[in-house]
Amino acid sequence: MFRVLCVPRPESLTGIVGWGVYIPRQRVKADEIASLWGFEKTLPKALWIEEKAVASVDEDTVTMGWYAAKVAIERGNVDPELIGAVFVGTESKPYAVKPSATIIADALGISKKKLSTDMEFACRAGGEGIRLAIALVASGTIKYGLAIGSDTAQASPGDVLELTASSGAAAYLIGPAEESVAQFEGVVTYVTDTPDFWRREGSKYPTHGEIFTGEPAYFHHIMSAVKMLFDELGLAPSDFDYAVFHQPNGKFPLQVGKKLGFPKEKILPGIVTPWIGNTYNGSALIGLAKVLEQAKPGDRILVATFGSGAGSDAFSIVVRDGIGERVGRGPKVEDLLKRKKYVSYAQYAKSRRLYIRNIG
Amino acid sequence: MEVSEVYVINSALIKIDRHFNKGYKELANEVVSEVISKSGIESIDLVVVSNMLSDCILDQLDISTILMQNLGMTKVRTLRVETGESSGLAALEAAWMAIKSGAAENVLVIGVEKVTEYPTYKINKVYGKVLDYEVEFIRNITPPDYAALVMKAYLKKYGLKREDLIMWPVKMHDNACRNAYAQLSFGITPEKVLTSMVISDPIHLLDTFPLGDGAAALLLTSGKAVSNVAAEPVKVVYVDSAVSAQFHLREDLTRLPATAVLASRLKEKFGDKVFTEAAIELHDSYSIYAYIILEELGLAERGKAYEIVSELEFVNVSGGLKARGHPFGATGVYQVAELHKLVTEGFAGRKFDGKYAIAHSMSGPDYNARVALLQKLA
Amino acid sequence: MKYSIPKFWRRKEGYYQIILTKCRECGKVAFFTYVRCPYCGSSNVELVKSCGRGVVEEFTISYNRVEEGEEYLPKIIAIVRLNEGVRVVGELVDIDLSEVKEGVEVEAVLRRFSSDDPHGLIYYGLKFAPVIKGA
Repeated sequence: MFRVLCVPRPESLTGIVGWGVYIPRQRVKADEIASLWGFEKTLPKALWIEEKAVASVDEDTVTMGWYAAKVAIERGNVDPELIGAVFVGTESKPYAVKPSATIIADALGISKKKLSTDMEFACRAGGEGIRLAIALVASGTIKYGLAIGSDTAQASPGDVLELTASSGAAAYLIGPAEESVAQFEGVVTYVTDTPDFWRREGSKYPTHGEIFTGEPAYFHHIMSAVKMLFDELGLAPSDFDYAVFHQPNGKFPLQVGKKLGFPKEKILPGIVTPWIGNTYNGSALIGLAKVLEQAKPGDRILVATFGSGAGSDAFSIVVRDGIGERVGRGPKVEDLLKRKKYVSYAQYAKSRRLYIRNIG
Repeated sequence: MEVSEVYVINSALIKIDRHFNKGYKELANEVVSEVISKSGIESIDLVVVSNMLSDCILDQLDISTILMQNLGMTKVRTLRVETGESSGLAALEAAWMAIKSGAAENVLVIGVEKVTEYPTYKINKVYGKVLDYEVEFIRNITPPDYAALVMKAYLKKYGLKREDLIMWPVKMHDNACRNAYAQLSFGITPEKVLTSMVISDPIHLLDTFPLGDGAAALLLTSGKAVSNVAAEPVKVVYVDSAVSAQFHLREDLTRLPATAVLASRLKEKFGDKVFTEAAIELHDSYSIYAYIILEELGLAERGKAYEIVSELEFVNVSGGLKARGHPFGATGVYQVAELHKLVTEGFAGRKFDGKYAIAHSMSGPDYNARVALLQKLA
Repeated sequence: MKYSIPKFWRRKEGYYQIILTKCRECGKVAFFTYVRCPYCGSSNVELVKSCGRGVVEEFTISYNRVEEGEEYLPKIIAIVRLNEGVRVVGELVDIDLSEVKEGVEVEAVLRRFSSDDPHGLIYYGLKFAPVIKGA
């Protein structure tokens, strides 16, 4: 017992050196989608989804992940040659086989001597990417690791999922704690075999269990992970200044936070989904970026990802000195939220290739 | 060593059109039959075939060989020439050099292009390959985009309005009305130019050429052979060509560097008045290029070419690429055939009695330019 | 497979980043990777990376339909003066047609040039977009 207390948790040797977010410029209003498909008009409000971000026809997981990663590297002011791992968490790979990570890494001039892979665990592969980067940095295997969560989330037209499934990316440059502006205090992960949402090989759109995605999936896994984290670190909701959760809609993160004992005020700063939709692997990670961009040194942040299938990573992060200066090195989430152009459902359908065209 | 002189002794062309019921072999056969008949030439040493897109459109390589096989001309030397949109004049250049050097006496030049085998969007794709594929086309830049950027730079530099540059197409359509071989032999009003569809703003549909099929042929011979033929020969005095820098490397977009080089070289050799004393067919793939070419050739002051369009009596009598048409690889051969007829039997209702006839051709935004100087024997 | 794999692959650095050819003889700098200086023909050249920022000098809004490029229309082709003083022509994205004007500050962004659908490669490369506020 004595020994365990003295040895620092390996994640505490690491922290966030840089971060970056990308939100495509186009937005389609949830009301328009709901109206088109004949959903009762109060549904968007019940889910708390106002509009969602739509990637352009020439954007995808690679291009959005590239932008977020570029900003993360610029924020960290790190030589790309020193980055030893690039992970892309996504469930919308442009190539079913062929890594997205290598394209992003080459385009950013990142070292060829690196680990690099695409990871899939529904919406939480980006979170697992951060965990892997932490482990690699903590073990001394690499100096810096880049974890990206990027998705052009698919939803079958007319599925309730279409109200929220959107496009966006976040990237985190993980490095030594002393170079970071936010240190990992503790990280835990909780995963089980829970079939709440999936997409079969060759299927264009995912299938989900609707109400089954809630209690046994989202709520159970996030709460299990967060409680595990509280136990291991000896912390309680009152010790945290912010709580960021995966956001399949605007409502779930507030509900899970409430169940865990967080007041709304600690959750709202990290909420982004009502205005950009559920960016899947970007979701909790964009929320975290938004919080980092307003946090003060010493603030403690809880982040809990969620991925169907199912699992959750819970992170306790303590903000360090120098955060403010690093915020200013790139576009903020607020800037990206404001940068928007409303498009029609038709333009969204064209952008996301929902139409069947004669090609090839 | 005495160099041979080069003469055009006959020319033939067909109406540029959507020849859906004819292939390139039929089109070539028509002009070849016509140009050889009554020429008095017994044997041909070399056939130069100009064609830009046979690989892309016809799925045919070595089109000169296949054409000779189909025309029953298997014993003749033949080669295909391709330099993008200026291929036709490049074929003349090759033929001219062959005769000049003494390697050939009688040379047949054929320009043929079957453009209408595919819909416009597919032709737009293959046409774009005249640009540097790796630098430009892969990055979704196409020829009309460049013409549009040139036009905007030109309007800005000279403080002109878009409406100032609408008379070229009107003039070309007017000329084409008298040219039985022109694809668009109907008149247009100036207003129609700016109400036509925008291709790349400010380039409208009526600023550019129609897509059509064409074939033209020239029969060339050496000075030694010319006395044996009855026809009225026209001397090919000089053929020249040059290459210019890529678009993004040009600081002044209102200039066409290769054309400028050719203009100064021709003036140096044949006098400052060579262009003013000539009937000219110039490469107006986009109307903005016509204005600039007029300036590069010294026919108009910089920024003022639009003021003299109505005075141009013997420039693009054919209707130019704009209205005669632009069957890519055949166009340069059309230009020379038209000029040959213009100075001999007459063409498009006119006859030119001046000293020179000059064909100017280029590819893309002047990526290469070519000129041919013709002179009627006194 | 419509396009050559190695043709794109060997040039990818020039598509993923803005690479300039700098001539040690004449001192001029040109956009793209040339084996010789396109101005003077010298092979004494070095390749340097651009910062990827610049200003729109001229542009055209194009409706020119090219096979496999239909879904990208209308497109904006712009002449951008890079901060290094070099001109480059490329596509301008993420801007309304009514907002495009000279002087717009832009940055290079990775996008799809085109894709060989449905089975072939996706061709990624840099286009230009207005600099995102705060960037």
